[in-house]
Amino acid sequence: MAEFVMVILGGLKFGAVYALAAIGIVVIHKATRTVNFAHGGLVMLGAFATYVLVVDWKWPYWTAYLVVPLLIGALAAGLELSILRPLRRADLFTVVLGTIFLGTALSEAFRLAYNTELLAVPAAISGAPIFIDIGEDAAIVTLEQIWVTGGALAVGLAGLFLFRYSTLGRSMRAMASNIRGAQLCGYSVERVYATAWFTGGALAGLAGVFAAPSRGVSPELAVSIIASAFVAAVIGGFDSLAGALIGGLLLGVVETLSAAYVSSAAKSAISFVLLFLVLLWRPEGLFPEAKRRHV
Amino acid sequence: MHQFGRLCGAALLAGALGFGAAPAEAQAPGVTKDEITIGALGALTGATSFMGGPGRDGLQLGIEQINAAGGINGRKIKLVYEHAFTPAESVAAAKKLVESDKVFALILSSGSTGAAAAANYVRETGVPTYNLFGATPIIRTPFAKNVFHGAMPDAPTSAQALVDRVYQAKPDAKKIGLLVGTYSFPQSNKAAILPILEARGVKPVIEEFDQDSRDFTSQLISMARQRVDAVIVLGSFSEAGFAYKQAPEKGLANAVWVLDGSAVNDAIVPIIGERDPKNVWGYSNMPAFPAQDHPEAVKFRQAWIAKYGTPPQGRPNSYDMVGYGGAFILAKAIEAAGENLTWDGLIGAWSTMKGAKPSDLGGADVIFPETFSETDHQGNRALGRATIKGGLWQTVGQ
Repeated sequence: MAEFVMVILGGLKFGAVYALAAIGIVVIHKATRTVNFAHGGLVMLGAFATYVLVVDWKWPYWTAYLVVPLLIGALAAGLELSILRPLRRADLFTVVLGTIFLGTALSEAFRLAYNTELLAVPAAISGAPIFIDIGEDAAIVTLEQIWVTGGALAVGLAGLFLFRYSTLGRSMRAMASNIRGAQLCGYSVERVYATAWFTGGALAGLAGVFAAPSRGVSPELAVSIIASAFVAAVIGGFDSLAGALIGGLLLGVVETLSAAYVSSAAKSAISFVLLFLVLLWRPEGLFPEAKRRHV
Repeated sequence: MHQFGRLCGAALLAGALGFGAAPAEAQAPGVTKDEITIGALGALTGATSFMGGPGRDGLQLGIEQINAAGGINGRKIKLVYEHAFTPAESVAAAKKLVESDKVFALILSSGSTGAAAAANYVRETGVPTYNLFGATPIIRTPFAKNVFHGAMPDAPTSAQALVDRVYQAKPDAKKIGLLVGTYSFPQSNKAAILPILEARGVKPVIEEFDQDSRDFTSQLISMARQRVDAVIVLGSFSEAGFAYKQAPEKGLANAVWVLDGSAVNDAIVPIIGERDPKNVWGYSNMPAFPAQDHPEAVKFRQAWIAKYGTPPQGRPNSYDMVGYGGAFILAKAIEAAGENLTWDGLIGAWSTMKGAKPSDLGGADVIFPETFSETDHQGNRALGRATIKGGLWQTVGQ
């Protein structure tokens, strides 16, 4: 039983980071109808910025949680302004290709700048693990596990509330619902798009801060995060922030359970099996925002 | 007229064969009056770039010091380095260096995967080859008179050192876990460790992982279930670091950890997040680690920083040091081969070299002295006992 509890907690730690990255993808897609395949690159840059602040510059860890989201958010808004805005009237295929190669460019730029296998970032919080007695055995929980899971989930929930209840969120939802109508109501397309990219980028940056100690910083981080975040977003419903949050946690737990009780090789396969099952059973995802109309 | 043409043609052909062949026999490829070209290959990007990149930088630093001191018998050394990560790239790089760049000697600064891939080619061509990092038996067996091995010991020697470290740290260890990468280097070490453990009556718990893995849930849970006393990790520093870090979360809290040579790297310290872990051991194939407070390591580090600037995390690492030291060993062999350089001359001189060390040519002694014979081309067999103290790997005896 203790082992099962530890497996679930381990899965929640991975899942919370997936959820945060997935929410960033959904925010950008919901407001701008752009599927951002460069999101993994932004997460990787968030992890890299954490390395620079904490390891190179030796700033206190908490500054990374404040500075990195702002930096990566500003970078994402800058990318929207310089690359995505000129593509706004292009067809969907062009925009998708644009974000795919933007992500590749971000990873390769990092590889060129830092020719190293991996940059390691220490844990934000360390200390003796906590032992929880369960029957005859004890489940071990580390402080880092609690911090990453709790912190990433708190940020994800904050993003959810921001999107649902703030003026900012309302403007993004209006733009997503009907761009012409939103403009007539006085919302600026440029401002809303820039804000959406900033918010999505900031969430990617935070996902990078949380992921850095447990995954290290390398160009491969971009690929591994984007794959999991997309699966989480699709499971959740792609336009649902709550769905992305739950999809991320579900994916993390399923992956870890399969690694523990099937094999490590089955881990990735099972996440895609889960994706196909959800798409076959509920193509709109588990928590769709828009209701299906039966006619 | 027709006959005259034929005679001219025959004369030209004879001239080309006769006069053209004479200088080629006298002068080995890659050797001119002023320069000796050496080729090297290794991964500059990808999962094993932690070996190839430092290998290149260490070699270049050593060669520049040798050239600054006047070179070898009046000739300067020039390094041509080819990126090679996959087996196919390694063979292609070796062929390019030997056949297009016409190098005088070849250095394998890749890991076991690249060394294994290039093994047949270097044996067939007979090019003098210096294997810096490859532990794989494929490059060592069958014995080839043109292939020499440096600071990295063969798999049986390092396997014995790993098992020794387990029992030095926990003499009563009963259950031993082997956490093994599925790629070439860990697999060759696994094959060498199993008979040693079997001779001690130990049946290890074996768990494998793919190269560059970050999640060790299944492997660690299996070891925790079987309550292993010690875990031997055969993999890179990042793989070993993340496995060690995740162990308590998976219920494996008090085991002794013994890490293979490629994991004994200071870059593991920020991953595991402890500056003085009690139960982490390894071996070193050098007298001191790059960041250790040791006069030769300090001398090397200062030279490295003077050339490459402020190092990134984990650099210079052991592979920088071995590359640097290797440049001096090869230069010493070339010097011993005399002024009229040929492949056979170099191989002959190298095969009788005893106790060669970088300081013989003015370098820092960051590797153990290397000794070769006509039947044994493993230059080094000395291995230190290593642990992490104050956030750095330190050699603490043998």
